[in-house]
Amino acid sequence: MPADEDIYEKLRVELRRGSLVLAVLCALREERYGYTLRQSLADAGLPIDEGALYPLLRRLESQGLLTSEWREEARRNKRFYRLSPDGEDLLAQLLGEWNSISDSILRLNEGTK
Amino acid sequence: MELIDRYLHAIRRNLPEAKAEDIVAELRDELMSRVEDREEGMGRALDKAETGALLRDFGHPLVVAARFRTHQYLIGPGLFPFYLSVMRIVGMIVVAIVLAISIGKAVMSGEGDMLRIWVDSMSGIFEAVLVNAAIVTIVFAVLERANFKPGDTLEWKPDELPDVLDKQPGPWASAAEVALSIAFILWWTGVIAVPWVRGDADFHLQPSPIFTELFVPILILASVRLVHNLIQWLRPRWKTVMGLTNAVTALGGLAILMLIYQSGQLVTVVSTGMAAEQTLKLQESLDLSFRIAVIVIAVVWSFQALGAVWKLVRRRNG
Repeated sequence: MPADEDIYEKLRVELRRGSLVLAVLCALREERYGYTLRQSLADAGLPIDEGALYPLLRRLESQGLLTSEWREEARRNKRFYRLSPDGEDLLAQLLGEWNSISDSILRLNEGTK
Repeated sequence: MELIDRYLHAIRRNLPEAKAEDIVAELRDELMSRVEDREEGMGRALDKAETGALLRDFGHPLVVAARFRTHQYLIGPGLFPFYLSVMRIVGMIVVAIVLAISIGKAVMSGEGDMLRIWVDSMSGIFEAVLVNAAIVTIVFAVLERANFKPGDTLEWKPDELPDVLDKQPGPWASAAEVALSIAFILWWTGVIAVPWVRGDADFHLQPSPIFTELFVPILILASVRLVHNLIQWLRPRWKTVMGLTNAVTALGGLAILMLIYQSGQLVTVVSTGMAAEQTLKLQESLDLSFRIAVIVIAVVWSFQALGAVWKLVRRRNG
């Protein structure tokens, strides 16, 4: 049913939206610029719209979780991002939370079978 | 490349000036990387139509630029429930005020076509609702910009929620009471003009001078009653304050009624050609009706005042 498809798609987008910050922070343990970051996320099965990625990168940088610098590569200026020490700490906490949520969902799912 | 420059320029115009250069440079790099990837795959340069399709895929310039703004909502989800609630209250009060004033004008005009006068007076209802809705929206948009969070800032006490058994009037009844109080105050202070019944060809009626003397007391009484109606509607658990305002307005109303009764007249008949004897008879007849009406009202109000005072005393003791 198209209505069911719509509901599934909305819930799926909502679910993935919450995990994107975590995915971006994980991917930026290694220095990357926007285009390669987007590609690495897509290769990992988490494609992100560039309209959402660049504002997110700026927000995370303004929160002190990322550092960035402009450098020339392949004859063009690119802005490279990397996780800051504060970002490392926060990522560790968020991964702990992520694992805890995942365990809880698995337990609940097992319990209802 | 000209199309990409124009696209980036369109985005730049909608970005905050301080960050525009930096954001556009980063977006340019993203777009150029994407173009290069496509060109590498196709083994040739993109033509204008293909570049246009790539930009369409990237997003409308306004949407792309808006994502970089701090505020993504005119009124965000945190404020929206309060916005809706205030909008509903203001809307109901405005509609009820316009209705009260238009009915007052139609009834008091003394002219034949009451329906036409009422319809004419009602013509401003859409404008009044729209203007007030716009004011409420602007106020909430400013609160959103100021990052005001009502859930955290406003003190909210579960104790103040109405009892399940509280006999609360419905929202329209409450709005009507508030609107009538506001309409009366506006009329009393001369902000809106509702003409008195003029009389006839050979006489006219004018309010008794006692109303000029009682201008301030009546204004205070109406204002306290408005406060009472607002509390009854919006803070039904403030029972002590409500009991106090109810008792004050009931006793104050009785006192004012007594002063009007002592003056002996509600209206004065002014002859504009009517014989003196006939004028006197009309005045006496009006004064008699007025005295009977005042006595009836005083009896009803006395019971109300006694009830209000009794409730207040019982509440204070128990």
